Amino acid sequence: MHLYKTMKNFLFDQDYFIDVWRDYTHVYGIVDIDILTEKTIVLLLEAFQLILKGNSFRVLKLTKNEILIQGVLESFEVKR
Amino acid sequence: MIWIEVELKQKERLLLKCFKLKIPIFDTKESNQSLFLKVSLEDYQKIKKFWFVKVKKSDVTGFLKWKQTLFQNRVFIICICLGLFLLFLLSNVMVKVEVIHTKKEIRDLLLVSLKEKGIAKNTWKKSYQEIEQIKKEILDQYPEKLEWIEILVNGMNYVVRVEERKLEDEKEEKTSCHVVAVKDAIVKDMIYSKGEAVVKVNDSVKKGDILIQGIIKKDEEEKGVVCATGDVYGEVWYQVKASVPLHYEEKVETGKKRWNIRFTNSYYDNFLFKSRLTHYEEEKKPFLNLFGNQFSFVIQHETKVLEKSYTEEEAIDYAVSVALEKISSTLEEKEEIILKKVLKKELNNSTMNVEIFVTVKEKISEVQEFVKEEKIEE
Repeated sequence: MHLYKTMKNFLFDQDYFIDVWRDYTHVYGIVDIDILTEKTIVLLLEAFQLILKGNSFRVLKLTKNEILIQGVLESFEVKR
Repeated sequence: MIWIEVELKQKERLLLKCFKLKIPIFDTKESNQSLFLKVSLEDYQKIKKFWFVKVKKSDVTGFLKWKQTLFQNRVFIICICLGLFLLFLLSNVMVKVEVIHTKKEIRDLLLVSLKEKGIAKNTWKKSYQEIEQIKKEILDQYPEKLEWIEILVNGMNYVVRVEERKLEDEKEEKTSCHVVAVKDAIVKDMIYSKGEAVVKVNDSVKKGDILIQGIIKKDEEEKGVVCATGDVYGEVWYQVKASVPLHYEEKVETGKKRWNIRFTNSYYDNFLFKSRLTHYEEEKKPFLNLFGNQFSFVIQHETKVLEKSYTEEEAIDYAVSVALEKISSTLEEKEEIILKKVLKKELNNSTMNVEIFVTVKEKISEVQEFVKEEKIEE
């Protein structure tokens, strides 16, 4: 368990992070989901609101504090 | 994990509901009217209760899938296991021991001896090496009765073929023989039933001297010839040399023991677990032998080496006792050690060299045939 905790602390050392690659978007540290449609996804994080805009959004994975989205990301906006 | 197929109009609504209820979704797939979700079995029960969702089909994955497959095929798997166990039993259990010999005495003797060595009905099959060892032990046990033995494994039976040793009758009727001395000695005791004594008690004799003659004489006239029979015991002298190191090592068991399992086949011979003792003696108990692969329980008795030393007197006493023991082991009934004396003792490089003089009363006679010379009258 000690090894697991150490690895977890090493990998998840931030409160949040946003990864974008090809047509995937991964957001860690979400608190709530405001809007979830094929064109717009609005996610609420601890310090700001993240607005993702694009096409054919589809949720691949969803847990209590992270989300993996597939779809063409055209723009994103951070609102504090 | 379980894959579920749900039919609904607003997929987003289900996802949001799952997020609110902290139901993790590990994977999703979409088709025209359906959404496929990978969730845990507990969460599947929660999703089933949503009023706006219609669960069409479910299919378990991962460990649950294995569990379900195993359960569905349980009869087949149990049969396979039973079959393998039966095959193992049939190929490793011997149900009969058959000794092929005409004499009942030999058959019974062998059956008892084989049983003592673990070859009996309803026992585990022995390996080739073990059978060879048992054959050797039985032949050593009965050197006068058995000439040759073969133990064959025929299916689930042992077939034992044996050849009885037929001793040639050595006691051929001899017509003329003397009892002669086989070594230099002083005669101490004589027991004879045929023939005429040539020597008396306390006479000194040399090797080859006639002790009891087969020619019967009366007043120097030859009356007849017999085969002299008897035993003559004489006093014989030996000089024995023995060397004893003053410092020596003795291996002693500490009482601590560890269990281990040894795996042996023709390519590999080692312990399954790391041996925690450095110095030990092994006691091996084979428990499984499968297709030439042997597993044995090994009890390792820890030993330690004690360095000991003799005083000069102790070393001399020990050397004398070793020498006497060596001589005693060659003595037969009615033979004994009469006298022992240390002739010379010398300490050389921490080794005590002792020369001992021993007087022994032992049998010195042997029957020797002779050809009587006949006078040719001219």
